Amino acid sequence: MSFTDAIGTGGFSVSVATTSHRGFTPAEVAARCTNRIVAVADTAPPAIRQQAEAFRGHVEKVVEFYMQEAVNSDRTTVCNALTEAGHPELATLIRSL
Amino acid sequence: MAFTGNFMCTSFKQELLTATHDFTNGTGDAFKLAMYTNSASFTAATTAYTVTNEVSGTGYSAGGGTLTNVTPTTSGTTALTDFADLTFSSATITARGAMIYNSTAGTNAVVILDFGSDKTSTAGDFTIVFPTADASNAIIRIA
Repeated sequence: MSFTDAIGTGGFSVSVATTSHRGFTPAEVAARCTNRIVAVADTAPPAIRQQAEAFRGHVEKVVEFYMQEAVNSDRTTVCNALTEAGHPELATLIRSL
Repeated sequence: MAFTGNFMCTSFKQELLTATHDFTNGTGDAFKLAMYTNSASFTAATTAYTVTNEVSGTGYSAGGGTLTNVTPTTSGTTALTDFADLTFSSATITARGAMIYNSTAGTNAVVILDFGSDKTSTAGDFTIVFPTADASNAIIRIA
């Protein structure tokens, strides 16, 4: 049994993504999501790699679209909750984001 | 002192052989990720979570965030496990690295993570992105 635990020797690493004064956009989250779904090995034959990269690009666009749909739908829910709570001006502000 | 790369704690390797950790999603142990400043001093001999030099700021509580386990699986002859990305929302914090630890089995350390440089979020999201869960990249794997 061997553990590969050192960076630079086939080990592991994490990356960090941060934002300032905003959250992540659907496009940014979609890119992260796609990287978890589709991984293309550096050692893959060029033809297969090209096909896989094209597939990855398609998946990313689909994920981004539906993430934006989810954001829009959630804003509708939030706006309705704010309006019903007597804060129509806040609802308008949220809707305009 | 400072962070000196990513490494698995030696005590964790031993504890795998004594069945201390269970990474099963849902029924397994709870694992947390705590973040630290570059003043933290960790080595392979680190055995447990510590509050010393842990980051503080809006959107971050001592002890860090709870990770979502991914049930261990295999790829070829390699066994591996993974965690879902972890986000600290609406956070104003700066961190240089992190420790994953088992919060069910005491606070036993699992791995130390070096972000490579200080990472900062200001009234935004701070997300730790885990690597692809395959035989070459997964965060924890036995080959």
